[in-house]
Amino acid sequence: MGKSTIKLCYRKIIDSSATKPWDKFVLEDSYAEFRLQVQNFAQVKQYPSFAELVHEVPEAKKINQMVGPAITGYIQQLNEVVPDILNNLGRRFIKFKTYHFEIINSHFDQREKHQVAVSFFSEPMIWYGTIDNYLLLAPFGQETGEVLTHMMQLQPYLSIYSITEMA
Amino acid sequence: MERKNFLKSLLVGSVSSSILLQACKKDADVTTTSTSTSGTTTGTTTGTSGSGTCSVIQTETDGPYPTKAPASYVRSDITDGRSGYKMTVSIAITNYNDNCNAVANALVDIWHCDAEGNYSEYGGSGSQSTNYQSVHFLRGRQTTNSAGVVTFTSIFPGWYTGRATHIHVHIYNASGTSLKVTQIAFPEGSGTALAAVGGYSKGFSGYTYNASDNVFSDGTSLEMASVTGNTTDGFALSIVMAVPA
Repeated sequence: MGKSTIKLCYRKIIDSSATKPWDKFVLEDSYAEFRLQVQNFAQVKQYPSFAELVHEVPEAKKINQMVGPAITGYIQQLNEVVPDILNNLGRRFIKFKTYHFEIINSHFDQREKHQVAVSFFSEPMIWYGTIDNYLLLAPFGQETGEVLTHMMQLQPYLSIYSITEMA
Repeated sequence: MERKNFLKSLLVGSVSSSILLQACKKDADVTTTSTSTSGTTTGTTTGTSGSGTCSVIQTETDGPYPTKAPASYVRSDITDGRSGYKMTVSIAITNYNDNCNAVANALVDIWHCDAEGNYSEYGGSGSQSTNYQSVHFLRGRQTTNSAGVVTFTSIFPGWYTGRATHIHVHIYNASGTSLKVTQIAFPEGSGTALAAVGGYSKGFSGYTYNASDNVFSDGTSLEMASVTGNTTDGFALSIVMAVPA
């Protein structure tokens, strides 16, 4: 088969069940920022739920972007490596430079309703093939000779975001 | 690879997906296989599923160890490399409900446009992805000191069609409750900083002055800043704002 260049997307969901320090920081700080920023919309008194607020005041969608800078510091602490997703040797290996933050649900008065997602978009990798439900991947830049690879299991919230067929 | 094979491989993945899902709820750091050994859980990290599935556990140094990081709004210098005449902004917050005494520990957010009249996005707009190094220039947050004062370093704002030159301000009490959303207006006329800056490259053709601005036209006596300085040494803006705290 032909090789393809792919970018992966891992959509990391974080909610009140989070146990890991990074996840908890992101959840806490994005909630604190949400409560600050949502007050730019006076209607929040009437519609404390984020979904309702966006339904009534579509412009409130931009709260997603307004809250994003609350977690920039935590993104930088990842040192450009996607969290959670491991190769079959148990190591994180996916490099990223871009991400997207979004609020899935939230509520001005109910902290436990706060749920966010951070989607990480990988740097391009070469997809050599699929073995069982493992993708055989290699980072760019080692096109000649022996190519060092990673095997990664398909799993929920992980997807091939884009693909470019190689000649 | 053939599409058929790929689809088949996806199916294989979906068979074990309920198990995966369960494991991922607890900790996405593990990859599970569907071979069920009797619940021996390895390792000391949180990746134990305990439901008869065994996991490939993270086998590298734990980390990165996250440390508490303030929102990237929290900074005094909000310039982010935007060019323009330097301007310091000093805002004093007083309590309307308490004899105009200073309000300490209040959060003050400010944001304004650059010399060309453009606002930063907050780091990626809409559903676009954001570079991890993205900046949101000319937006910042400080906490008032015991004298109720915050200071920022920025540039003199430009302007855009329909509005007089202004700075947005949102003031919260220490626990984050909004006290006031308002805007700072700039003095106009000869000898003012506004005149010295000259609207930057746009000039003042089509400029909206305070009197016809839809925000400031009801009077600017409380929102008007004092701005001193010149284009060589930079400008200093100061204003006192009373809020019901």
